[in-house]
Formats: sequence, C-alpha cells, structure tokens
Amino acid sequence: MNDLLKINNLSYKKNQKTILTNVNLNIEKGKIVALLGENGAGKTTLMRIIAGVAKNYKGQIEVNGATKEAERKAKLSFTDGLNGFSDSTKINEIVEFYVNIFSDFNENEFEELSKFMKLDPEMKLSQLSKGMREKLVIALTFARKADLYLLDEPFGGIDAMSRKKIINSIIMWKDDDATILISDHFVNEISTLLDEVVIIKNETIFAHKTADEIRESHKSVEGYYEGLYEGEDD
Amino acid sequence: MEFKDNIPIYLQIEQYLYRQIALGELKAGEKIPSVRKLALELTVNVNTVQRALGQMNDRGILFTKRGEGNFVTEDTELLNQTKQSLIDNELDNFVQNMEKLGADGDSLVSILEDYLKRRNKENE
Repeated sequence: MNDLLKINNLSYKKNQKTILTNVNLNIEKGKIVALLGENGAGKTTLMRIIAGVAKNYKGQIEVNGATKEAERKAKLSFTDGLNGFSDSTKINEIVEFYVNIFSDFNENEFEELSKFMKLDPEMKLSQLSKGMREKLVIALTFARKADLYLLDEPFGGIDAMSRKKIINSIIMWKDDDATILISDHFVNEISTLLDEVVIIKNETIFAHKTADEIRESHKSVEGYYEGLYEGEDD
Repeated sequence: MEFKDNIPIYLQIEQYLYRQIALGELKAGEKIPSVRKLALELTVNVNTVQRALGQMNDRGILFTKRGEGNFVTEDTELLNQTKQSLIDNELDNFVQNMEKLGADGDSLVSILEDYLKRRNKENE
C-alpha cells in the first residue's frame, strides 16, 4: 500500500469538549476523497489538524512520510479562508504574499488558474462574490505544488457556474500523484469525481468506502451517506 | 453525459465509449480523446477514466501506442461483437418490459411484426 496520509489514534479536545476520538485513517496516493459529515461533526477540525493549524492533539499524523508539523506543512496545500487579509487587499497583493511565504507557489500556474477562473488581479477582496472568492481560494491552493491538497467546503453557498469551474479545475490541475481531500456536507454535486468517501460521525471515522464499492451494491453515494443518518432525529 | 449514481462510473464510461464506437463516432483505428479530455468532458476523475480504458485495453477493443494514447482496434470481428452486445442489451430490456406487459414467445414476434407494418404505413 502506498499511503500518502496516515492518521493513527488521533484525539482532539477543545475547551475540554471532545471533538474527535480515536481517528484512524489511511489514504492512498493519487486519490480524490470526500470528507463528509454534518455541520459541526469535526470535518474542518480534522483538516486543520492535518494541516498543522490546530495543535495539541493526541496521536500521529503522517503526510508522505513526514510526521513533524513543519515538514508536513511543506507537503500540503490547505485552502485558507483568506481571513487574515483586509477587505481592501487586492488579489495581486495576496499573490505576492503567497510567493513570499510558500517556496512551492508557482506564479505561472496561478496565472493560468486565474485566467481559467476569470479572476482580475486588480480586484479587491471586498469586490468578490462568494463564488469568486472561493475560486480565488482554489486557484491559490492549486498554484502550490503539494502532495496533499485539503479543500475545506469549497462548494458552500456558491452558484452552479462557479461550482462547475472549480470541479473542472480539479480535473485539469490535479497531478496523477496528487491526493485531494474535499470536505462537504452534501455529496451529490461531486459524487462523479470521487474515488472514496470518508464519513465523520460520532466524533470519529464512522465509514470509509470506495465509491465503486458503494455503487456495486446498487446504492448511490448520496443514498448511502443519507442512509447512515436514517432513524435519527433531525 | 449524465451518470447513474448507483452503477460504478467506470462501467458507464465503458458503455459510453462502446456506444460511440458502435455508432461510428469513433472509428476503427482512430485515436480516442486523451484521458484528461475525457475526464473533463464527462466531469469525472482521471483515475476513473483510466480504469475504464484499462478494461477496454484488456478486452482488446482499444490498444495503446506508447506516448501516443489509446486507439480503437481495427479488428472487424471484435467491433461487430461489440455492436452485437449493445444490440443484445437493448433487446434484453425490450423483451423484459414486453414480458411484464404479457407479451412473450410467439405473440411477441407477431406483435412486433404488426407494429413495424403500422409504423411503415404511417411513414409512407
């Protein structure tokens, strides 16, 4: 097995509240995997832990052989909500910041991506619609040359055309060896893209299956996912 | 193209390409679009397209030229078989549906003959 991501016995608490317990997860190189779960299930927290942003967890995380936070960070590209930038920041100023921070950030690649996404580098963050902002985040994330891409809810509340653009950018820009983890609480819009699904429920990995495995049992990925919540109160 | 979500996508891609070949959209000996182009056209993962093409290579319906991509076989017999299996699939569905409606065996043949006669008249 050629596992790119290995998580062993991970547990995480925040303000004495348990968010994740006993998480074990292995993901092979080159796969596109959805991380599914209800709002508040811990999807973003798990991504932040893998990315080395959330600290003080218990357990071990390995990204392409690297276990130390700093080494791990160098091997992965995590969608950042751009929260650190003020609304008046221009796209090209953000790009400059990325160039300085990340040695693997490829400006030519970003230019290609931003052309594809129809982003104007002179635009300020305050001028971007939700869909455009998300497209910018994806362009910045993919312009880095990483082994693992962590996309945190890239499709939340955006229009159908932006969604289509983002999905196509994933197909076009993903290297064969690159691994992508996409979190979402809704699966049907990306189901044809997925190799595997990982479901977070009850503070841990509740299920991990290949999309083909689910479909071979004549279920849709969406139906399978929804079926896990049947009989529970909404 | 719309996929059914309860059948593995790679199988549906195979079926889609078999159809393209049977309908002559992809001809014997012709190069098929690149993996990434197909993935984009069908909005699927490159891995999934590769799996479908791999199976078609195994069956001999496609062959790979190193560094050039995938080509449709020039084996006429294999191409005819492919077309025949698509026809058989359609007939399977048709016969099953007709049986549900109570038409089977000899009556199915006469019903079909009768239908074709009426259809030809209407088109005259």
